[in-house]
Amino acid sequence: MKRWFGGLVISLLLLSGPVLQAKAVIPGASTPQARESLTLAVLDYRSDSRMQDQYAPLVSYLSDRTGIDIELAVHDQEALNRAIATNQVDLFLTNPSHFLLIRSERSLTGVLATLLRDWQGQSTSSIGGLIFTRADRDDLEQLEDLRGASIATPGIHFMGGYQAPALELKTVGIDVRRSSKVLYLGNHDRVIRAVVNGDTDVGFIRSGVLEDRIAQTPELASKLKVINPQNLTGYPFQVSTRLYPEWPLVSLPHVDGRQVRRIASALFALEPEHPAARAAGLAGFSPPADYQSVEHLARTLRVAPYDEAPKITWVDVLHQYRVWVITVSVLFVLLVFTSIWLGRKRRQLAREERRQRELVANWPQPMLMLRGTELVDCNRAAIELLRYSGESSLLGKTLAAFSRDTQPDGEISAQKIDGLLRRTQLGDVVNAEWVFVRSDGSDVWVDMTLAPVYEHGFDVPFILCSWYDITRRKEAEDRMRLAVQVFDNAREAIFITDSHGVVIDTNEAYQQITGRERSESVGSLPPMPVDEGSAILVAARKHGVWSGEFRSRSRDGQRLILNLTLSSVFDDKKQLSHFVGVFSDITRLKESEKKLRTMAHYDALTGLPNRVLFAERLHQSMAQARRHGYQLGVIYIDLDEFKPVNDAFGHDAGDELLIEMGRRMRTVLREEDTLARLGGDEFAAIAVNVDGDDALQALLERLLKAVAEPAWVASHSVEISVSVGYTLYPQAEELDADQLLRQADQAMYQAKRQGRNRYCGFSENLS
Amino acid sequence: MHRRSFLQLSLRLSLAATMAGSLVGCTQKTPLKTGVHPWIGYETLYLAEEFDWLPESVQLSKGQSAKNSISGLLSGELDAAALTLDEALRVSAGGVPVRVVAVTNVSVGADMVLTRPGITQLSDLVGRSVGVELDGVSGVMLLAMLDQAGLSTDQISIVDLPVSDHLRAWNEGVIDVSVSYKPIASRLEEAGAVRLFDSSQIPDTIFDLLVVRQEVERKHPEAVADLVRGHFRGLRHLVRNRHDAVYRIASRQGVSPDAVREAMATVMLPQLAANRRYLAPGGRVESVAGRLAHLLKNEGLVEVVPDLDNLCSRDYLPRGPV
Repeated sequence: MKRWFGGLVISLLLLSGPVLQAKAVIPGASTPQARESLTLAVLDYRSDSRMQDQYAPLVSYLSDRTGIDIELAVHDQEALNRAIATNQVDLFLTNPSHFLLIRSERSLTGVLATLLRDWQGQSTSSIGGLIFTRADRDDLEQLEDLRGASIATPGIHFMGGYQAPALELKTVGIDVRRSSKVLYLGNHDRVIRAVVNGDTDVGFIRSGVLEDRIAQTPELASKLKVINPQNLTGYPFQVSTRLYPEWPLVSLPHVDGRQVRRIASALFALEPEHPAARAAGLAGFSPPADYQSVEHLARTLRVAPYDEAPKITWVDVLHQYRVWVITVSVLFVLLVFTSIWLGRKRRQLAREERRQRELVANWPQPMLMLRGTELVDCNRAAIELLRYSGESSLLGKTLAAFSRDTQPDGEISAQKIDGLLRRTQLGDVVNAEWVFVRSDGSDVWVDMTLAPVYEHGFDVPFILCSWYDITRRKEAEDRMRLAVQVFDNAREAIFITDSHGVVIDTNEAYQQITGRERSESVGSLPPMPVDEGSAILVAARKHGVWSGEFRSRSRDGQRLILNLTLSSVFDDKKQLSHFVGVFSDITRLKESEKKLRTMAHYDALTGLPNRVLFAERLHQSMAQARRHGYQLGVIYIDLDEFKPVNDAFGHDAGDELLIEMGRRMRTVLREEDTLARLGGDEFAAIAVNVDGDDALQALLERLLKAVAEPAWVASHSVEISVSVGYTLYPQAEELDADQLLRQADQAMYQAKRQGRNRYCGFSENLS
Repeated sequence: MHRRSFLQLSLRLSLAATMAGSLVGCTQKTPLKTGVHPWIGYETLYLAEEFDWLPESVQLSKGQSAKNSISGLLSGELDAAALTLDEALRVSAGGVPVRVVAVTNVSVGADMVLTRPGITQLSDLVGRSVGVELDGVSGVMLLAMLDQAGLSTDQISIVDLPVSDHLRAWNEGVIDVSVSYKPIASRLEEAGAVRLFDSSQIPDTIFDLLVVRQEVERKHPEAVADLVRGHFRGLRHLVRNRHDAVYRIASRQGVSPDAVREAMATVMLPQLAANRRYLAPGGRVESVAGRLAHLLKNEGLVEVVPDLDNLCSRDYLPRGPV
């Protein structure tokens, strides 16, 4: 028994413990199960004292009906939010917009009931907004007039006091949310005061408030007017907007379910006639309304908790904008394909362009591009041709800048290039030879081609310029020209034959020397020694050259002596292809030579050998006589009485006589004997192969006789004689020609002394 | 006497339709002239107009009753109208083929069959004289009821009477059964009639529709789509903002908000999905229309059975949210 009692006490203590503890620590914020009193918070939308008075009877009604101690707390929105956040509130009654905000921040059990408002016997569970202004504001008649107007409102989270009017204004294009002229005053009474005082143009309040105020101060009715009034049958209040469900009464989740049911049942049981209902201006409570329209309103206005843009899923978009989505997708796909295709094309183009650029840059022929007269591009070959280090040395300059002042044809470079460029710009392709100056100062000949290149977007065409280096050609041409001139102007005859010796070309001198026209010469053989002929060609082929003199005849039969040098010409394969012959006419030279030789060895008057030739022949004859072992006679002849003839008949007659005497003596002598005139009237003769003294004397006899014959000179017959001295060779002693001639001379003197017209032999005794 | 006119307590000048018609002529692009008269199912169009959700391509021609709409369609003055299914069939049979483009509401209890006490099941109706206004929506109700009972029209005795005359006929003993609707039905009940059957038992049968002349439909498909879209926007307001809509309908119809709430309880307002189902080829509207047309022909109410192929079109229903 005692033990049982003790257990009961402990159990009671355990049960009551938390209650005591909670009350001791934080009243009103303890664990819900133990709560005996609940707090009903009501939004203070008017002024604190009035709300307290109005709702106190309702709270005491609920307390009585439910047996739960319910306390009333009247808060403005901020205080209510705080109280809910700190769990100081168990039930609350607020406007639908504020309810949505609270619901978004914490979980709620849900709406227990929706308030039914009463006005003079008419009840409604709908709430709207009232837009009003001062009655004397003629400028504000309809919604559209509110653009730019200043607005007084209790706050954003007021259903009738803000959101409902804001939506109506939004439908006529006025965005209250963005207006800077909105005053947030906390409650409806302040809004009315602000408008009445003229602080703002218009005011937003919830439906029913104005009627309530007018009931207290009737003169207000004439001071204010409603904008956009809605005539709604059966609705007890003036209203400017569409309607929404009335305030919800909400319980928080921590409230015990049984208590909630009791409270709900008490709420629904409240009759309109009940003093508690009357005090609060209610007709009771109805089952919870659908607050979807309020949510939609907040969403449309983008106010909290729907101030973020609604989340639209792709499915929504697809559903709503199916055609657009498909169209855009198709276009996008097309765009992507086009981009890929274009990209590929562009790469291809870039590749081709690069290839062409490389091609042009590496093209061995110099190429340049001009715009106007300026160089804008060039390839490597162009830079190398002018021997510069880089294209920067060329670009931006004119072609004349790389030329001498004048071109070889005498034109001024700048003027000439201008003319060429102008022609090109008119559409011609122009060709010209041009001399550029390299960076090292040397000249370079080019064959320059200028062609217009038309590019889209440019009126004046670009000019493509290509150069072909013709410097070598030019030099070769010069050499060739020189060679041709040499060929043509040479004094020597030059001919070229094929490998068989047939003439294929001749020069002017050839024609003059041979007397043949070129056309006759070509195709025939050149003049060559008749007997040697082809042997010359063979020699020239073998040795490369043949040189020699030979006799020939010109076309008109003149004798010619030609000096020919014939050279072989070999082709690239070392095969003989041509002969080049150079010959000169040396006929005159030969004649002069002969004449000179004659003058040196012969007497000009008589044509007989002179002393020089006589001496030579004597030497030769002496040598022959010694060799062959025969005797020769040296004869010295002097005309007797020549001087009187000369004096009497003149020198010409004397000369005639000498010539006649010489001729006569020559006829007496044999062919192989030599008769020479030594000077004046002195002659000498060599008689070879003399067979003894007698034979010689016989000859001398005949000689004297021939001389003695009368001679006809200068129309006169003249008779003269000669004195002759002779000697024989060889003699006992060896002697030279001079000694031998002196012996004959001494002998001749002997003959003179002996009376002239006689001959006298040399003997030792004479000397 | 058309049922819908009972809800219309404030009489308006029938001139309104004509005036609306003449106004239409002023606009540059001829709008779709749509006949409409007060009925809870058609309130969506009034709401749409009030909130400016109808584009200029649609013009409401507000008549007093369905008669205005029917005659307007037949004469070509109207391009579209809000009508019940039987009314639509009558127009089609009258030589102006129409297309059903939306179902605005389905009756769920608004129409009822009242009998003398003792008749407790449908099979008891055999051989009874049944008062019915064949030239009205009651015909559909009768048909649906017989269909459910497995009876044919031959098995009952049809007394074709305007509903407004049913009370008198009942009192005189001319009819044992009345196919009627409120408020006549309420008075019959007071006179001792018992409710045997109402339209809530035959779901998806009594339809109110938006119809368009097929000739106009071909020419102005966009305007037709605008009309249907306007209806659904109004419907959204009616459903979502019922607190607001009730007062507006009450204001327009001149009745109390409670009366509107009561009326709304007797109709079902089909949303988009339900509309798609109703208007499907071989769907509910089409099958009901087929049987109704034959009934009307058999009873001599129409001279020909109209061509009912492609009666309904779902092409104008909004594809996304309205």
